[in-house]
Amino acid sequence: MDVKRQVKIERVAAEVAGNGTPVAKAPDPKLGYDRIPVDRYISRDFMKLEWEHVWTKVWLLAGRSDDIPEPGDYICSEIGTESVLIVRQPDGSVKAFHNVCLHRGNRLRPVGIGHGAENFQCMYHHWTYGLDGAIAHIPDKSSFPQGCPPGGRIRPLPAGEWGSFVWFSLNPEAEPLLDYLDPVHAHLSPYHFERMRMVRDVTVEWDCNWKTSVDAFNESYHVQGIHPQLMWYLDDVNLQIDCFGKHNRYLIPFGTISPRKDLPSQIPPPIQYMMEKAGMDPAEWDGPMTAIRKAIQRHMRNHGQAKGRDYSELNDDQLTDDYHYMIFPNVTLNTHADDLMLFRQRPHPDDPDKMYYDIWMFELPDSEKDDPDEEYRRPKHQFFRYGDKSIGLVLDQDAFNLPNVQKGMHSSGFQGLWLGDQELRIRHFHSVLDQYLQQGGAL
Amino acid sequence: MDLGLAGKKAIIVGGARGIGYAIAETLAREGCELAISARSADAVKDSVAQLKRYDTRVVGGAVDVKKPDVYRKWLAKAVEQLEGCDILIPITSAGGGVGSEKYWEKAFEVDVMGPVRAVDVVLPHMAKQQSGSIVLLATTSAGEAMGGPQPYNAMKASLITWGKQLALAHGKDGIRVNVVSPGPIEFGGGNWEMIKDTMTKFYDATLRQQPLGRFGQPEEIARCVAFIASPAASWVNGAHLTVDGGFTNRTHF
Repeated sequence: MDVKRQVKIERVAAEVAGNGTPVAKAPDPKLGYDRIPVDRYISRDFMKLEWEHVWTKVWLLAGRSDDIPEPGDYICSEIGTESVLIVRQPDGSVKAFHNVCLHRGNRLRPVGIGHGAENFQCMYHHWTYGLDGAIAHIPDKSSFPQGCPPGGRIRPLPAGEWGSFVWFSLNPEAEPLLDYLDPVHAHLSPYHFERMRMVRDVTVEWDCNWKTSVDAFNESYHVQGIHPQLMWYLDDVNLQIDCFGKHNRYLIPFGTISPRKDLPSQIPPPIQYMMEKAGMDPAEWDGPMTAIRKAIQRHMRNHGQAKGRDYSELNDDQLTDDYHYMIFPNVTLNTHADDLMLFRQRPHPDDPDKMYYDIWMFELPDSEKDDPDEEYRRPKHQFFRYGDKSIGLVLDQDAFNLPNVQKGMHSSGFQGLWLGDQELRIRHFHSVLDQYLQQGGAL
Repeated sequence: MDLGLAGKKAIIVGGARGIGYAIAETLAREGCELAISARSADAVKDSVAQLKRYDTRVVGGAVDVKKPDVYRKWLAKAVEQLEGCDILIPITSAGGGVGSEKYWEKAFEVDVMGPVRAVDVVLPHMAKQQSGSIVLLATTSAGEAMGGPQPYNAMKASLITWGKQLALAHGKDGIRVNVVSPGPIEFGGGNWEMIKDTMTKFYDATLRQQPLGRFGQPEEIARCVAFIASPAASWVNGAHLTVDGGFTNRTHF
């Protein structure tokens, strides 16, 4: 490795982590070193295969449970050419069905979140459906001597909730949600995402394949290339990669300086910011730069309660580090004790060179800093095209890079991804994708 | 021109990295015997090992200048190890920081009292031998705004005043005291390298203000410090030399 210093990162031991998020290193899968063929990023045929064998088979993230607390609240979620309504039922459960009127195919609702629907009435001819998708009323029903469409309802789809998130599947035969998420749901429950509040809800259309984006967040090898500032507060070299079944993760130490950099004589501004956020005064720090990460952990452990934060289920490393999970095929979770930065990558309906990149940010309330008189307001969803607005420095750096990667992949001089060990999660992701394609369905 | 540095005995407080190390290296190359200090034992060990390739006596110590007793002891020991002291260059700094009162305390302890304590220990030896040269390191940020109002700038400014008065007071003993103020200096592990990555706009804006289109390098400060410290600069006393590639705006009449 091209480093300037040998760094030994102190990690919590598996015994200490107890019943919380497991920290033990999972054995690396033996996935070889073959090229990942480039076709899958640029070919429409491959896109169709993906639709048939992946998108219509897996569980998909639709939104937040607390966006639809009451019966009749719903999320209208789009994936590829499909649009789905996920609706809170009077019994508190969620049900999903296609967002389409069985009469002439009109969409019942626009994409987004809605509240307090008593039914779903089509704008076109006022066909009306109940909260469960069953036909409730057809105007002039006697003019349909053939009766109503078979089944008398819009086709239901599997739906469920986990971790304060709402999920659905286009696959009527989908395995139970928790089986699908296994074991990641158990890993993430100590974070209690349900205690966090959404602070950002953005969708950006990017000019790249959805997997080009997934890959970009599954390795830290690119930090030295396009995120030089990150090397001043995280260790992009000493991270732990774990692959679990369909899903994977890496654990990146934060609050420490990359071994690719000489130790500076002053605390880098981003680490100062981390210290301040934890309630420490960086000016007070008199120890070595390499001891700051553990000091932040100790400080948060001792002072979290004053901010109304319960870290009891998290291990010390989780108080600083990024436990970075990927739920197959398209959800990336940067989990931290106080916040969650979630990305969802969705394919474009028909163009392999485009995708939708959703950014959802969540934060724990801070009882010390939050104004008790100011009511929390969920941010409005924003949609724009790449380049129209900044999405923050780090993500802008990724966003700037990815269209060029996508263009490059069309080159006749490029046959596919040549991956190294630091990119094991990418290789793992593609091997799971391949298994779906080969088996034509759920694993 | 022979600087006359061969065989001179120099103490550099904060000599393991950046400008301090560059000064140590320049003096070693000129044949000075050296005592260097830094806070980190590893850094001192590495620097001493590297400086020894110039085939001169080099000793080092891991010392925190904020601990007066240990620090003074080390200084006395350094004089003893070198069997005298002709040149003193105390360059320790706590660096910048805005806001907390703690930054004032640190800057006072490290940037001001670091040099003050060293001068106190070394002066009697220099007076006894009726010769000596002290160079203090200030900054262009003492004279022109940089990075907001902060203790670093103000505390470094005090060295310019104090340095001049030291020069007036001890000239009779053959001791010269001068101050060098570097402008922004960039090197691996230095603050400007970090600023380049983490505060890119500030870095770029500062770079645009450089008449020569680049930041300075530690060696470019070290050569000036070595000259002023050397017998070749025997008539330079009480001077304040700005070494900044023309970065500062003010014209000195």
